[in-house]
Amino acid sequence: MSNNRVSRRQFLNYTLTGVGGFMAAGILMPMVRFAIDPALQTKAEGDFVQTSQKVADITEEPVKVDFSYEQVDAWYTSEVTDTAWVYKSGDSIVALSPVCKHLGCTVNWNSDTEHPNQFFCACHGGRYEKTGKNVPGTPPLGPLDAYEVSEKDGFLLLGKKIANNLA
Amino acid sequence: MFFNGNDVQQFQTQKDFIDTALVPLLFLEFDDARIRQSSSATDFLMSLTAFVEQQFKGRLMLVPPFSYTNQTKDGLAVNLLKEELQSTGFKYVIFITTDHTWTSHSEQLDVIWLPPIPLESMDKGVKKTVLEEQLKQIIPVLTSKWY
Ligand code: FES
Repeated sequence: MSNNRVSRRQFLNYTLTGVGGFMAAGILMPMVRFAIDPALQTKAEGDFVQTSQKVADITEEPVKVDFSYEQVDAWYTSEVTDTAWVYKSGDSIVALSPVCKHLGCTVNWNSDTEHPNQFFCACHGGRYEKTGKNVPGTPPLGPLDAYEVSEKDGFLLLGKKIANNLA
Repeated sequence: MFFNGNDVQQFQTQKDFIDTALVPLLFLEFDDARIRQSSSATDFLMSLTAFVEQQFKGRLMLVPPFSYTNQTKDGLAVNLLKEELQSTGFKYVIFITTDHTWTSHSEQLDVIWLPPIPLESMDKGVKKTVLEEQLKQIIPVLTSKWY
């Protein structure tokens, strides 16, 4: 009989554990949230930023696509404009960051007459193939970064910068 | 590169590659008749040089601008400034300005002179196109010095 009965001691134990649990949760939850939130914070449109580039207009020839988003730096919000080189490769769309992997100049497509169909960095003659792969013997030591791409209502969306996984 | 703590640290380890100093020369005028034009030209030059910096981050350092008025211009010893920058390792010291009086110094100094374009009435997209056009004029000037 007494098995089913809750003794005074047990009752107190349960309630205190329960209340303690709530209190612990009350303290921990905001901490966890603060810890995770910045990582979850994203640019507008989830992870992606809308561009004014129509997907249907993208060809095999790389074009410059500008996109802006808001960047919060402590209390200071600023609008940042970034650029990507965008082209079609087979069925997929490739978006490459124009930032040279040597010392950070901006690379241009096809601007060096001696080496056509490459990305060229005028600063120290760095060169990249169309895929973004750095040409050995020129200063850059790695490939151009890429952007995640997506599409919405026929327009190109650009996402996070990712390391270029060149096959 | 900008003249700030982080960029300068990188500059010190990469002096072989970052060999160009870009020095804006700003002519400030404060009298009622000229202040608008002067501030607009300042805005233009600052925006443009920031844009040049972005393009050539790994090759040039954008030095904070040297400003002067009619009265103080004579105190600006640009030749000494140039020598000082050269002695710290900048192979090329290039001045950029919207004040045409500097064009008469072009024998001793590398000066890029540009007529100012008022940017204040433009929206962002137009501004960017205008600056891009200007940048296109500057690129060959710089690369002709380098190569
Ligand atoms: S920054 Fe591009 S080659 Fe040096």
